[in-house]
Amino acid sequence: MYLKKSKSIGASSPLNGIGKQDWNSRRKRKVGEISQALSVTPVDVAALRRMAISEGGLLTDEIRCRVWPKLLNVNTDDLPEKLAEGLRENHKDYHQVLLDVRRSLRRFPPGMPDDQREGLQEELIDIILHVLDRNPQLYYYQGYHDIVVTFLLVLGERLATVLVEKLSTHHLRDFMDPTMDNTKHILNYLMPIIERVNPEVHDFMQQAEVGTIFALSWLITWFGHVLSDFRHVVRLYDFFLACHPLMPIYFAAVIVLYREEEVLECECDMASVHHLLSQIPQDLPYEMLISRAGDLFVQFPPSELAREATQQHSQQTAASTFKDFELASAQQRPDSVLRRRRKEQAALAEQAQAQAMVVARPRAKRLIRLAVMGLTVALGAAALAVVNTALEWAPKLDLQFFP
Amino acid sequence: MESSLELTTSLPGTCLPPPRSRIFKIIVIGDSGVGKTCLTYRFCAGKFPDKTEATIGVDFREKVIEIDGEKIKVQLWDTAGQERFRKSMVQHYYRNVHAVVFVYDVTNAASFRSLPAWIEECRQHSLGQEVPRILVGNKCDLRDAVQVGTDPAQKFADSHSMPLFETSAKNPDDNDHVEAIFMTVAHKLKSQKPLMLSQPLGGEGFMPMRKSEEEEEKGVLACSC
Ligand SMILES: Nc1nc2c(ncn2[C@@H]2O[C@H](COP(=O)(O)OP(=O)(O)OP(=O)(O)O)[C@@H](O)[C@H]2O)c(=O)[nH]1
Ligand SMILES: [Mg+2]
Repeated sequence: MYLKKSKSIGASSPLNGIGKQDWNSRRKRKVGEISQALSVTPVDVAALRRMAISEGGLLTDEIRCRVWPKLLNVNTDDLPEKLAEGLRENHKDYHQVLLDVRRSLRRFPPGMPDDQREGLQEELIDIILHVLDRNPQLYYYQGYHDIVVTFLLVLGERLATVLVEKLSTHHLRDFMDPTMDNTKHILNYLMPIIERVNPEVHDFMQQAEVGTIFALSWLITWFGHVLSDFRHVVRLYDFFLACHPLMPIYFAAVIVLYREEEVLECECDMASVHHLLSQIPQDLPYEMLISRAGDLFVQFPPSELAREATQQHSQQTAASTFKDFELASAQQRPDSVLRRRRKEQAALAEQAQAQAMVVARPRAKRLIRLAVMGLTVALGAAALAVVNTALEWAPKLDLQFFP
Repeated sequence: MESSLELTTSLPGTCLPPPRSRIFKIIVIGDSGVGKTCLTYRFCAGKFPDKTEATIGVDFREKVIEIDGEKIKVQLWDTAGQERFRKSMVQHYYRNVHAVVFVYDVTNAASFRSLPAWIEECRQHSLGQEVPRILVGNKCDLRDAVQVGTDPAQKFADSHSMPLFETSAKNPDDNDHVEAIFMTVAHKLKSQKPLMLSQPLGGEGFMPMRKSEEEEEKGVLACSC
C-alpha cells in the first residue's frame, strides 16, 4: 500500500498549486497514520520511520515532539527535572560554547523578541554543558550548537536535553571524538558516491582539488548551519533521525550532483569550486533530493564504499573502519528479518532494472542514472531498505534503534 | 529538474576568457573569536558584519584590487579557530598559500599566548620562511578591555620577524585600517613575486557570480583603498 501511494509523490510537491488538494488529503491521511502508529503497543517504529522519510516528513513540530523520541528510542516518562547548576564556569568548553551560542542569532526565528531569544540561548548553553558533563568521552565541536538549537526550538528544554544526549552518543558520536579523524573518514564517502553517479563531476572536482571541507559544516550540523529556513532544517532532521547515521553524507552528495551544471561551468580551481559549493542554494527541492539520497543509499550502501573511503585516507581511518566492522559483525539478526530483507531487495532490484537506464562506462562499474530512477523508484521501498541496511553498517550505532 | 542530471557537454572556456589576473592567496588563522571572520569580511565587503557565526571548516572570501594599474585577486581563506579543526582538517588549505595573517584579540591574553602554537601549525604544514607573515591584534576599539599591550606584541612580532598591526574590524577610525593592512600584504606579494603568481592554466573559464556578490564587489571596489 505504501508503495503504491508513494509513486505519485514526485508529480506534485507540497507547494505545487495543482497538487494542493491532493497533498492536503494525503497530509490528512498521513497525520492519521502517524497517530495510529503511535497508539499501538508497542509503538510501530518502522511505520514512524517511513513517515519521517516520506513526503513532508513529520509535518508539524507537535508531531515531532511525539515521534522524534520514538525514533531515538528515548523514554519520555522520566525527564530530568532541572539541569544541574554550576556547570558553567567550571567546564572546559564553557567559553567556546558561550562564544558560539552568542553568535548563533541566525538560528532563531526572525521575529522573536530579544528577551525570549536570550532566554533560549541560556537554555542552549545549559543543555550543551549538561550533556558534555554527563558524557566526558564527548568533545564539543563548533557546529554542535547548531544541532542542539534545532532540538531546543522544536522540543523545548527538557525533552531536547534527553534527545540530544541520545543523539550525541549515537548519530553524532563520530564527530565528538577528541580528534576529527572519524569525521574526516565520513567525509571520505562523499567523492566515491559522486563518482558512481556522475564521473564527470567527480573528475572535475578532483582536478580542481577542491577537497571535501565545503561539506564539513553540512555534515556535522546536519545542515542546520547552512540552511536559513527552519522548516527545511527540521524536515531534514526528520529524515536523518529515521535513517542510518551516514545518510547526511549521501544527502551532501545529492546536493552536489543536483548542481552538476553549475559545478562544471565553474572555473576548475579549488577556490572557485569551494566557493560555489559551500554556498548552498536556499531553494532546493528538498523532497526530491531526500528521495534521491535514499535511492543512492540503496544503490551504493556504505559497505560498498567503505574500502574506497578508507583508501583515501589510510592511516587513522583503519581504526574506525575496524570499529565499524567489529560492530557490524556483532550484530546478529533473526532469520525472519533476513528473509524479509532479501525479498525487499529483490523487489527493489527488479524495479530498478525495469526503470533505470544502466549506462555502461569504462570507469564506473554500474552507473544508474538517477535522472531516470530518482522519482520513479518508489520511495517507500527505498526507505524500507534504508532502514534495514542501517543494521549492517553502523559506525557506533546502537542496534536498539532499529528494532 | 531531471534534466539537470543529464550529461552536460558544454565545457567552460567556450566564451572568451577574461584577461589573466594574478591571484594572491592569503590564509587567516588564530584562536576562535579573535575576529578572523570580521576582518576578512571587513576587507572584502568594506564593512563590519552585523552578525557572524562560528566558522566551521574554511570560508572563502575574495576581492579584486588594483595595484599600479594591475588587477589582482586577493583570496582570503578564513579558517575555523577551534583547535580540533586544525591539523588534518584544514591542512588542504595551506597548500600554495602566498601569505599568512596571524590574528589575536588584544582583549584576550589567551589568544596572544596561542600564537606560538599557530606558528608551529604553519611550520607543520611546511610553509617556507619566504612566505610573508603578518601579525594582527584585533578589537582595538575596546580600549578599556585591553589585555595585550603593544610592547609585548611588538616584541613577539620582532622575534618572528613579522610586522605588527593593531586594528579593529569594527571601528573604522583606526590608523591601521583593515583595508590598509591587507593592501600592504598585497603590495609585498606583488613586489616579491612578479612572475610566480598567475592563474593556473586550463582554468580560464569564467566564474558565474551571484547577484549579491556582484553588488557586494562593486561596493567594495567603490570604496577608497
Ligand atoms: N568590539 C569588537 N568586536 C569584534 C571585532 N572583531 C570581531 N568582533 C566580535 O568578536 C566576535 C568573534 O568574531 P568572529 O569574526 O566571528 O571571530 P572568528 O575569529 O572568526 O571566530 P571563529 O570562526 O570561531 O574562529 C564577534 O562577536 C564579533 O562581533 C572588533 O574589531 N571589535
Ligand atoms: Mg570565523
